[in-house]
Amino acid sequence: MRKASEVFVCGFVGCFGATLFCISAHAADAAKPITYDDQVAPIFKRHCFQCHGETKQKAGLDLSSYANVVKGSTGGAVVVAGRSSASRLIEMITADDPTERMPPENDPLPKEQVATIKAWIDSGLRQNAGSAAESTHGLGFVPAATARFDGPPPMPAGLPTVEHAKTIRPFPVLALASSPRAPLLAVGSYECIDFVDPATRDVIGSLPFPQGEPQVLRFSRSGAILLAAGGRPVQNGSAVLFDVKSGKRLAELGDETDAVIAADLSSDERRVAIGGSGRVVKVFSTEKGTLLHTLVKHTDWITSVAFSPDGKLLATGDRIGNIHLWDAVGGGVVLPLSEHKGAVRALAWRSDSQVLASCGEDGLIVWWDVAKGWPATTKADAHPPKRPPGYYGKIPNGVLDAAFGSKGELLTCGRDRTVCLWDVDGRELKRFALNGEPPPGIRLLPTHAAITFDGALAVCGDSAGKVQSWRIGSPK
Amino acid sequence: MLTRMTRALVLVSLCSGGFVHGATPESPAPSFRRDVMPVFFRAGCNSGTCHGSARGKDGFMLSLFGYDPKGDYERIVTEMVGRRVNTAVPEQSLLLLKATGKVAHTGGKLFTRESEYYQSLLHWIEAGAPDDSGAVATTAGVVLSQDRLLFEKGGEGATLKVTAQASDGTTRDVTKLARYFSNNESVAKIDTDGHVTATGPGDTHVFARFSRFTVGAEVIVLPAAAGFVWPNPPTVNFIDELVFDRLQKLRIAPSELADDATFLRRVTLDLAGRPPTVAEYHAFMSDSRSDKRARKIDELLADDAFADVWTALWAEQLRIIGGNYAPVATYVKAADAFYQWIRKQMRSGRPLNEFVAEMVDASGSNLTNGPANLYTMLVHKPQFDPSAFAADFSQVFLGVQIQCAQCHNHPFDRWTQDDYYGFVSFFTGMKRKPGVEPRERRIYWDTSVPPAKHLVDGRPMPAKVLGSIDPVPSGGDPRTALAQWLTAPDNAMFSRNLANRIWAQLMGRGVIEPVDDVRATNPPVNGPLLDALSKRLVDSKFDLRSLVRDICNSRVYQLSAQPNASNVRDTRQFSHAHLRRLRADVLLDSVVTATGVPRRFNGFPEGTKAVEYYPRESGSTEGPHFGEPFFATFGRSSRSTICACETKREPTLSQTLHMAVGDTVRDRLAAAGALKKLLDAKATPDQVIDELFIRALSRRPTPEEMSDLKALVGDAGKDPAVYEDIFWSLLNSTEFAFNH
Repeated sequence: MRKASEVFVCGFVGCFGATLFCISAHAADAAKPITYDDQVAPIFKRHCFQCHGETKQKAGLDLSSYANVVKGSTGGAVVVAGRSSASRLIEMITADDPTERMPPENDPLPKEQVATIKAWIDSGLRQNAGSAAESTHGLGFVPAATARFDGPPPMPAGLPTVEHAKTIRPFPVLALASSPRAPLLAVGSYECIDFVDPATRDVIGSLPFPQGEPQVLRFSRSGAILLAAGGRPVQNGSAVLFDVKSGKRLAELGDETDAVIAADLSSDERRVAIGGSGRVVKVFSTEKGTLLHTLVKHTDWITSVAFSPDGKLLATGDRIGNIHLWDAVGGGVVLPLSEHKGAVRALAWRSDSQVLASCGEDGLIVWWDVAKGWPATTKADAHPPKRPPGYYGKIPNGVLDAAFGSKGELLTCGRDRTVCLWDVDGRELKRFALNGEPPPGIRLLPTHAAITFDGALAVCGDSAGKVQSWRIGSPK
Repeated sequence: MLTRMTRALVLVSLCSGGFVHGATPESPAPSFRRDVMPVFFRAGCNSGTCHGSARGKDGFMLSLFGYDPKGDYERIVTEMVGRRVNTAVPEQSLLLLKATGKVAHTGGKLFTRESEYYQSLLHWIEAGAPDDSGAVATTAGVVLSQDRLLFEKGGEGATLKVTAQASDGTTRDVTKLARYFSNNESVAKIDTDGHVTATGPGDTHVFARFSRFTVGAEVIVLPAAAGFVWPNPPTVNFIDELVFDRLQKLRIAPSELADDATFLRRVTLDLAGRPPTVAEYHAFMSDSRSDKRARKIDELLADDAFADVWTALWAEQLRIIGGNYAPVATYVKAADAFYQWIRKQMRSGRPLNEFVAEMVDASGSNLTNGPANLYTMLVHKPQFDPSAFAADFSQVFLGVQIQCAQCHNHPFDRWTQDDYYGFVSFFTGMKRKPGVEPRERRIYWDTSVPPAKHLVDGRPMPAKVLGSIDPVPSGGDPRTALAQWLTAPDNAMFSRNLANRIWAQLMGRGVIEPVDDVRATNPPVNGPLLDALSKRLVDSKFDLRSLVRDICNSRVYQLSAQPNASNVRDTRQFSHAHLRRLRADVLLDSVVTATGVPRRFNGFPEGTKAVEYYPRESGSTEGPHFGEPFFATFGRSSRSTICACETKREPTLSQTLHMAVGDTVRDRLAAAGALKKLLDAKATPDQVIDELFIRALSRRPTPEEMSDLKALVGDAGKDPAVYEDIFWSLLNSTEFAFNH
């Protein structure tokens, strides 16, 4: 346990420094805050007052006074403090279609002016230099007290031999997890799960998964239990709990008609949530095997579910970009988190349960301030693929997975075939390109990312069935 | 011990030993575009009701009929790694399990594991489901083994073979990859292997579609030969030869020639927009010269009334509405400038191609330069909308509906998204800026505006004429090049569209019907006829009157509406005259002509005819506008779209009621019109009844009609109420409301 507390101290110091930096950055902002009176009103005056001013208020919108801007139009609010991306005003002045864009029959506003208005919204809609921002937010990280677990970290030992299914090429790594307490990875393969040593990448044991393909692997906080969920597409799906040491199957939950795509085990190990193409999230009791709640709110496939480490919340995401927060115990709705415009690919909780990270096919990584329900930090186009010369159109730039390390750092992987490490404030620290050149015409994609228990290695599974790793810290 | 054997995952490369390979070295790797995409098309996976729907189906989307192979590849292979295709255990791929019905599939079982479709997909997945690297030959054309099938009776059959020609010059048999359909299953059916079966007498087309090409074959199923005698009618010109040739092939006998009175009424209504006057009737009926019909046609063509009718047709088609809302730029002065300009062109006999070209290339003030109002009227919107305009433009001037290609390659025609966005770029630079006068707008081309962007990948699409590969030369206003291409004598799309519309106006039905839905899958019912009409128009230097003269002089135009036993079922091959309800404006002018009591239109000078009237509004001109309520009731175009279907010819109950009790007829019976003059002149009952018949129906009463009506008049002699009732009955008869 001594080792663990050292990690704790180190992490704390490191992040304290980061918090300090945050404060000073905000202080610098405060010296010259963007305000309605000073910077924004002149822009509105020049471009908008003619139709949205004191004399005429088309659509009921008056941009000539701060109070009326905040009040919005007949259609509702046009600015949302802290969220330019959710503000109708920004949508209207940046619309691609010239027949929709404001101001009508005119060139779009100059980029700098749009940026000023965005910055004004994002910094909290200040009226003038004297007024406080509507909201301020930082990403301060205070690690939660590490749970105390007795005994050595669980490692598999003496597992029975598993015959691997014969395949014509390796099955993609559709699931990957790192033990929170031991140098141990669980890697999904076809009809089985391999335990892999992250340093040598040797397989040190395997678990049979005759249900089909594991789509999700999650270790319990103690590292003693492994949740494996998956199945065969449009045939069957379930979640299985294994004892990591003995490889014993402890329970099987759910009997779905399609493979389970999303699953998680609560920190107290008493609940398992699963979701998939059925559009509902089912929460099972691990003790009794009974269905506790069916969470109905998503309108598309459930792509990710995650219990908060403090056991209070359950986050669920779907294929059209909606995220919902639920009361993990009672199953009630807490908050919707809307920012993603494409499928949510992963949800990950920081160990202090204050921040939830989400990533998706829209290229976004969002660090959510869970208490407020706002994005604390947003990283757009976090994994941008290179555009070949002469190539037009959208290149898929999805962020495919995200996983927190114990110190609040986040590891993501994306369709640009890189794995990226972000610090606690959402700044890029390191980026690694995936190794391996696939045959012509075949895409190699990183499918899953994880940070080892000691924060030393970034691990990534790929579509060619390989696991790669990079050193990101010193091993303990 | 196997588990302890180190399996170093990171070192395993795709091609190292231990794995079985699907593709043998000698067979070329399967191509996604060439081998896989056609299977989705053939099996219907990417059709509009299945995964080709804009939002996909059951969570899986494909581009409609495969217009976006790149996107389809991503969705199938990389959107959900390992699910739809499983390159490790290929036969477990969801794509294959779904298509063969091995797992639940809304679309059901589409093919078996033994089929070549399954094998194509399996081989591709076994090869690792590769995307095409480098260029893949695309389909450049598709041909059918036969373009004409003739069956003596129902039940006979034949099989078509479909060959695709690739851009690299190679060909392949795609009979099993094409999809088939028939335009009329009661004539001929076609099955999924291209086998055609005759079902009943008639003519239709069957089609095969592969890639973005649809090719058709004409199918004729003959009626029984027994009892059919070709009457061998005389021919006047090329129109008769081509129509009769077709009728003889189909074993349909044309009707007899219409009598003089019927002809006179028909041609006067068609060319002058009103029934003949009493004087015209008597002059024509007493004329004994053998060429009097041709002389009548020439006389009517020379009259300004002919130009007025065609001005009305163009004004309706180009959606002229006068308004008073500056941003829409359709101030009533602009509408008037446009209308007067069109009338001037029609009266002077301006060649139709020059007439159109001047509009297409027009710029300047909407108030003073009439033709520039093409850019204010065709699409009524506060802001100029290039995509809406391009779609309407092609529908009006080419009869072609390209708007399908805005979102996907046209499923029933040749138009691709490249064609669509290239065409839109002719208009992306169109701007309207305020002029000197309050409601004046100056129409101009702004060279700084970038071309339209392709929907799929956002690629800029420089202005390009339909069907061409290369854009027009860049720099400056591309509309000059557009006008040149559009109205060139060798642009058959343009001349055929004009010829078809002129034919339809006089015959009640186009050779292609509807006239504004020309496409590969809606072929002309008589191809050689349309070709000849189009050629005649081009040869006459696009002279409207020349073509109208030929049509009206043909025996086909002059056939009776009375069908015979062999042509009673024919509605498409012009074997007899079509009964046509009068257009709303012609009907109103006919009531005025027959009664001799004029009709005033608000805002227009006295003596304005209904055909010369266009809606004038006090505000914006967006949305439907009929102007006078009479036009709404009788289905004149509301000008809310450019669709030919806006002009309605169907009779309705409200029309009957309006004619029976409305003010249009009622107020004109007793007024100081024709009837009053007759009675004032102390005409005999015979004379009055005779003249009322000629005025309303352009014919004399039959002896029975005369004796019945005289009995009605009886001793009342000069009681005008009885004559008013008689006149009312005539004007309320279907014989009056129809051109026959």
